[in-house]
Amino acid sequence: MNADPELITIPGRWDFEYRYFAGATASRFFAEIRDNRRIMGTRCAKSGRVLVPARSFSDAEYELTTDWVETGPGGVLEVFTIVGTKFSGLPDPPFVLGYVTLDGADTAILNYISGVDLTDLDVAARILMTRPRVSAVFKEAREGRITDFHFKVEQK
Amino acid sequence: MSWADASYSLEELIFKGVKRALHASKTCIDAVDSVVLAAHDLVDGRSLSSMVTAPAAGAYLRDEIRLAEDGLVALSLAGARVAAGESELSIVAAWGRASEGDFLSQSRAAMDPFLVQPFGLTEADISAFRLSRWLGAHGPQDEARVRAAEMRLVRARQNPRAIDTSAPLLPLNAPLRVDEAPRCADIVVAALVGSRESACHISGIGHGTDATLVGDRDWLERPALRTAVEQALGEARLSLKDLDLFEIDGMTLADEALALEAIGLAEPGDGFGLYARSDRINPSGGSAAGWCYPAMGLVRFAECLLRLDAGGKRGVAVGSSPIGDQTQTAVVLEVA
Repeated sequence: MNADPELITIPGRWDFEYRYFAGATASRFFAEIRDNRRIMGTRCAKSGRVLVPARSFSDAEYELTTDWVETGPGGVLEVFTIVGTKFSGLPDPPFVLGYVTLDGADTAILNYISGVDLTDLDVAARILMTRPRVSAVFKEAREGRITDFHFKVEQK
Repeated sequence: MSWADASYSLEELIFKGVKRALHASKTCIDAVDSVVLAAHDLVDGRSLSSMVTAPAAGAYLRDEIRLAEDGLVALSLAGARVAAGESELSIVAAWGRASEGDFLSQSRAAMDPFLVQPFGLTEADISAFRLSRWLGAHGPQDEARVRAAEMRLVRARQNPRAIDTSAPLLPLNAPLRVDEAPRCADIVVAALVGSRESACHISGIGHGTDATLVGDRDWLERPALRTAVEQALGEARLSLKDLDLFEIDGMTLADEALALEAIGLAEPGDGFGLYARSDRINPSGGSAAGWCYPAMGLVRFAECLLRLDAGGKRGVAVGSSPIGDQTQTAVVLEVA
């Protein structure tokens, strides 16, 4: 046996399909976005908190949610990141992602953030750190997906 | 720790790491009656990863449990089994081989398919979100951040077990900086937990789990982390001021530093400052010394144990899990 063999490395790739079931509550959430341009939450009967995106139960209270509540379209940008690397299927960098707490909601939802000049990233970051007001902007052609809208920073 | 060492298969790396732990514990495989493993298919690139690799960790014809969780959870489970009398001596092992895959792509694949995957979000982005909130609350604190990054690097360079700088840094997005990044590594870590008298014993274990959706969580208070540490300290009948050493898991320096505030060790806004000032905090160099999910909680434990052996009486190791540190584990250990 060769005591110093050529070391073998082989390529591998996982590439198989799934189908994910959203469930009735999330399906209505996405239908409201598509059909009515509304971002809906559901209220936890025990705490009264409005949970966005809508879901059928509150894991914090461990109770079913009850009534549906329209939230936004305005809200507050809670946190952000400025994405600087290219990844297949995403916009060309730089772009901003952030979590927004919509008016009337108690939890935050993720989406793209526009309306900030990204020419100077440090300046942009300083603006975004102030937790600016944002508003949802809906696409004309909507498919019932989370990407049917994004948030735009409101100009003061 | 190593990086892309093609002279070892994953199974051989695991065997080497576990064998070394047995040797360091002055015991042999025949004395072991159970095995608890922490590994993850996505990171390993092998379906049922720990099923095909378990014998390399000593599981052949032994009572074995495998977790897709952080390594410190495996330690907790092994400790519970020993305390319950189900086992006398258990191997705990965790591993991940970052060089065989693409962690950021794996991280994207692990996110919620309806709400998060369409945006390509990764674990590193959640760290950036957390830091953005802290910067908004406490200002830039550039000097403290730079100083903490420098000190972390110094500590990593002094750590004989750290990965060298040939391994890549994980790419990060703003407001995170390059010097706050984890250095990727192939990691196998193992420990032995038993019922026999030992110079070191586990005196407290705590767990905490946060809300499923990241947008539901408190970015800075981090109740799951605080709960885990408080539980572990309560069980050990100790407080933070009784501890000589803190080994805190975090993907980035920001995660490590801000955890100090969440557990009450640092004042709000002083996480980076305390990290830089205190050599009791992550003397291993934290994620700058090497990082790979899901081994890090057990790495923090091993670093704590080895450093307590060299001086100090009591320490805490903290481990965390995706998504965005949703589950946290804390273990208090004491050396006689």
